[in-house]
Order: sequence, then C-alpha cells, then structure tokens
Amino acid sequence: MALLQAILDGLMLGGVYAVISIGLTLVFGVVSIVNFAQAQFLMVGMYVAYFAWRHLSLDPLLGSLLAFAVVFALGYLIQQQLIRRVLKAPEVAQIFLTVGILIVLENLALIGFGSEFKSVQVWYQNESLEFFDLIVSMPYAIAFCASVVAGLVIWWVLAKTWWGRTVRATAQDPMAAKLIGIDPDQVYRLAFGLGVGLTAFGGAIILPYLTVSPSVGEQFGVLMFTVVVLGGLGNVLGAVVGGVCVGIIQSVSGLYLPLQLQNLVLFVVFILTLALRPEGLLRHKS
Amino acid sequence: MESKRNTSVSQQRRRVLGGIGAAGLASALPLSLHAQPKAVNVGVILPLSGGNAQFGINSRQGIELVADEINASGGLKGLGGAKINLVVADSTSTPTNAATVAQRMIGENDCCAILGAFASSLTLAISEVTERRRVPLITMSYADQLTGRGYKHVFQVTPKGSVIGKAQFDYAIELAGGSSKVNKVAILFEDTAYGTSTASGLRAAAKAAGADIVMDEAYPLGITDVTPLINKLRASRAQMVFPVSYLNDSLLIVRALRQQRLNMPIVGGSAGYVIPDFAQALGDYSEGVLSICSANYDLDTSMTERYRKRFNAFMVHEAVEHAVSLDVLAQSINAAKSAKPEDITQAMRSQTFKDGWAKTMTNGQIKFDESGLNTYAEPVMVQWQKKELVTVWPSKYAKGKLIQRNV
Repeated sequence: MALLQAILDGLMLGGVYAVISIGLTLVFGVVSIVNFAQAQFLMVGMYVAYFAWRHLSLDPLLGSLLAFAVVFALGYLIQQQLIRRVLKAPEVAQIFLTVGILIVLENLALIGFGSEFKSVQVWYQNESLEFFDLIVSMPYAIAFCASVVAGLVIWWVLAKTWWGRTVRATAQDPMAAKLIGIDPDQVYRLAFGLGVGLTAFGGAIILPYLTVSPSVGEQFGVLMFTVVVLGGLGNVLGAVVGGVCVGIIQSVSGLYLPLQLQNLVLFVVFILTLALRPEGLLRHKS
Repeated sequence: MESKRNTSVSQQRRRVLGGIGAAGLASALPLSLHAQPKAVNVGVILPLSGGNAQFGINSRQGIELVADEINASGGLKGLGGAKINLVVADSTSTPTNAATVAQRMIGENDCCAILGAFASSLTLAISEVTERRRVPLITMSYADQLTGRGYKHVFQVTPKGSVIGKAQFDYAIELAGGSSKVNKVAILFEDTAYGTSTASGLRAAAKAAGADIVMDEAYPLGITDVTPLINKLRASRAQMVFPVSYLNDSLLIVRALRQQRLNMPIVGGSAGYVIPDFAQALGDYSEGVLSICSANYDLDTSMTERYRKRFNAFMVHEAVEHAVSLDVLAQSINAAKSAKPEDITQAMRSQTFKDGWAKTMTNGQIKFDESGLNTYAEPVMVQWQKKELVTVWPSKYAKGKLIQRNV
C-alpha cells in the first residue's frame, strides 16, 4: 500500500516535471540552443500567477494561462533580440548568453519583487482526495490534471496543425524548410516563446503547493535537465517519460532511504542511463 | 507589502532630506561642530537573498531600529556622541560567501564588531574569521558549536540549539499534561547546522522522558515536495510532531499535514514557525500551531511596539535579538569608551546588561559567561492565536492561555 501511495505521489509530481521539461526540450529540439535560463522562466511564470492572484483575485489555474501568455511574449522578444544573434555563434557564446539571461532574470526579480517567499491561498490548498487507503493531495492532483491537458494540447499542436508541421520541418532541416517557404526565424521565435511559456505555465500550476521566491528556479534547473536528458534531448515524448520516471524515482526512494538521498538515487539512475543508453530512454525520433 | 515598501521609501526620503537639512545647519554653525567624532563601523552580515532572505530582512530591520534610535538620541555617549554606521552585506545563504564578506568587513571597512548572520551555518563560517582577527561577533544563531569551541570573541545572546530542542520537547509535554499523555513522537528537521543542533536536543529530551521516537528524519533545506515525509509521519502514528524548519519548508509541512487531516499537535522549532509570513501564507490553518522560540515580542511590548509602528508587523524574535545584539554592543562601547575590538570584547564580558533592549530577553537581563553564552537566556513556548504569537509557557512568562485546536 505504501508503495502504491508512493508511486501515485510520484506520478502526480512527474506530470508537472514533464510539462516544465517539455518546454526545455522543445527549445533545444527546434531552436538548437541549450537554454540554461529555462528554470528562471518558471520563476517568472510563478510571479505572474502570484500577482494575478494578489491583484486580480485570479486562481493560479487561470493565472497559468496569463503566465503562459506573458512569458510567451517575453520569450518571443528574447529570441528575436538576443538568441537569434548567437544561433550560428560558437557554443560558448550561447552558454554565456543563456546563463546571462538566468542571472539577469533572477536579479531583476530580486530587485523588483524582493527576496521574500510569496504564497497564494486557495480553497483546495489544504484539501485532499481519498479513495480506499490512498490519499492524493488536491493541489498536486489539480496540477497533474492541468499538466495532462497542457501536454495533450502541445501534442495536438505539434502533430496535427500546419504550424506544428512547420516546427517539426524546421527542427529536421532548417534549410529544406526554408526552401519550401517556411520562415525559420519566425518558427524559432514562436518555438522559443512556446517553450518558455510552457515552463512558466508549469510554474503557475504548482504555485498552490509551493512558494515563489527569486531563487526558486534553482530547485528545478538541474531536475529539468535530468528529465530532458533522461528522455532524450529534443524529444517531447521523452520529456514526458523522463518526467514521470524522475517523479516516481524521487517518491519511491523516499520510502526506503532517508529523504536526503532522494536525489542521489535519481542521479545514479541518470548516470547509468547516460552510460548505457546515451541517446536517452527513448530513441531520438523527430 | 506595498505599504511596507512605501514607508521604507518615504523613510529613506525623510532621511535624505534630514541629511540635507543637517548639512545646511552644520555649515551655518561655528567650525568646532565639524569636528564630530568619527563614526563607528559595525558590520552586519545577513542572508538578504536566497532561501533565508526573509529572516535576514527581519533581522536587519531590528538592527536599523536600534541604530537609528541611538544615532537620533546623540550617538555613542562613551565616544563623545560618535554615530553608529552600519555596514550591511548580503551573505546569501552560502557559508563561504558569509566568510568572504566577514574578511572584507574587517579588512577594508574597519568594522569594530560583527552582527549576524541568523542561519547557524553562516554564523559558524563567520566565527572562524572573527576569531582569527580577534573581532567580537554577536549572534542570535542557535548552533551549539558557536560557543562550544572555546572561541574568545563570539557572543551568543540566545540559548543554544540543544537547549532549545530540549525545551521544545519538555515544554510541549508539560503543556500536554505529562509524559503519560504523549508517548509517540516524531522529529523532522532540515539538515543544516540549526536543524541538526536543535534535533539533537529534542532527541535527548525525548529519550530522557522515555518517549518513543517513532520517526526521526532529516530533509534537505531546499525541499520542494514533502509528501514522502508526511506519508511516513502518517504511517508512524505519532501523537505529536516536532518539525524544525525554515520558512518554505514549514509552509509545505503544515499544508501537507492539513491536507492529510493529520491533527496531532504541531510544535515547531522556531525559525519558520514564528514569523509573520507563516500566518500570512497559511491563514486560519496557522491557528493553534505551537513553536519554541528564543524570545518573543510580548515579553516587553514597551520596546517591541516601536518596531511594529515603524515596520507594520510584530517584532519577530530574530529582530528582537539582533536589536539586543546591537544594543549590548553599544553599551559595551560606551562602557569601554573605546571602539577597539579587544576593548569591546572585554567590556562585553565584564558586565551584566540590565538596561535598554536587554530587558526584552528572558529574565530581563544579559550576562555572557566564559564561552560567550548568555547565561540568562531561556527558551519560551509560543502559540499562534489570531495571527499573533502569544507566549504560553513557562508559566512565569506566559501572556495568554493555551488554546486547543480542533481540525
């Protein structure tokens, strides 16, 4: 029973990890840039949702849509003004740029919002769902459901819409995409916006069970990269599998080992995966 | 929040205007007044960003309150009215940073003493520097090692972590009506110096009382998911839980407890359980939560209400204790008539502080023993009642009655 409970908890956690990581993998897969600032967009998303709750009394679930929109626009601009310039530059320049964005975002938040932990209050925050002997915390369950919906929407957009096909075509071969009349720069801008927006969305839906502060991204940065590499860089389905795996590993290891070793187990699995299956759990498909 | 920022801005503006006014006045007066004694630099190292920033900000406000009050009432009398000049620096939440900042303050800023740094792990790092440079360090951090290593220049105004942990357990059992009522207890603690130190006191007290520790678990400070922790707690069937946490983790733990309808009494270990943000974030769910604390603002409201007036919040214990730290430093400088670090250290050791902010501490006075520990410090048990902290135990300090919470 305890194991079942732990797996269930891990699944709830993993669903959210999946959504925030899809954003990272999308940016890598389409724009071909490793965005070290991705977790800071999560932080921005959390703040947007927080202020929407604070000043407009908007539930973070609705605030998450606003967070997505705001950060999408921010990402679009960052791609247009900054990232575009380093796409053909050496990798070191790309790393400098995204790490620079990380530092700037974190410090702007520190100046603008202060370093306090901020927390929303919503009715479902202290509720839980019970069936048989299993308990699922309500805010986790809601965040999980929102993640599933967001994941399905992203899948539908990428697989079924014309725009999704242009994204996939550009990811495969930008030159060929250009030849058939796709503007890769436009695709990059939208994809970067979509990627960071999705991560911001994930940040907003976890706000009810977490607190937001300028450094909250640090807790998620490494985790997101683990999820993405575990699932295969640039692979959207891989991020989902990776996210759920990471959630369940964290949760189940907490059952048998001290909580402090939670991430140790995770990284042992991670290193083993890199050693034995460097392409990630799922083979890279486009 | 908005209003808080506005007041601080307007205060700054007022201070600037005051400064201009004073400058104008000074230039109009005879030259002799220009020979004001040199201001005394006091180093303040606190976590102003990162995980423990809220505590750092509270602490800084306590220090600013006292510094401004002393400066406004004629400066340091023992030095002919010299002003106190605070040199404030952010240690972030990383011990190596804290040590570097301490080096700089002593080496470049010529600070005569250092106050800080709230989190024990930071203070420990600073104490190595101050001891080497023979500069007094006055702290309200809890860790036992601070005054347990034979250092000559560290002063701890609060009780030690193990004493606080012991009181956290003993007081709770006394309030519950004796050890026959509670025999299964759970201890959860964050795994840096403060949590481990307090937990060791808790553990020892529980063993001494013959209670069954059904769960004893450390967790990392930056924890984002406490579900595994609370699942274990539920399975342990503990009758009382003693969590030792900073702010973020305390909120996660209490929320998860409420979600799972676990209604055993919560007896927190100070820090996250006793700041206004705790009640603000949890709303009614904070009502009835108990916590041990090293001081509380209701012990002497004549002093602490001045803080509320200026900062619009009750004077949380770290603000009280940092105010006390600066005040005993100022009293020592006055007594020594010197701002040399070695003279201050000597004056700190050789007197009992009965005036000023020392009155807000337990027993109303402060005396540092050989190791630098305040021998009059005693922990108190506080409880959240209508978003205020009320001292409920020991009975000689109690300001209100314990309320029972029914979830």
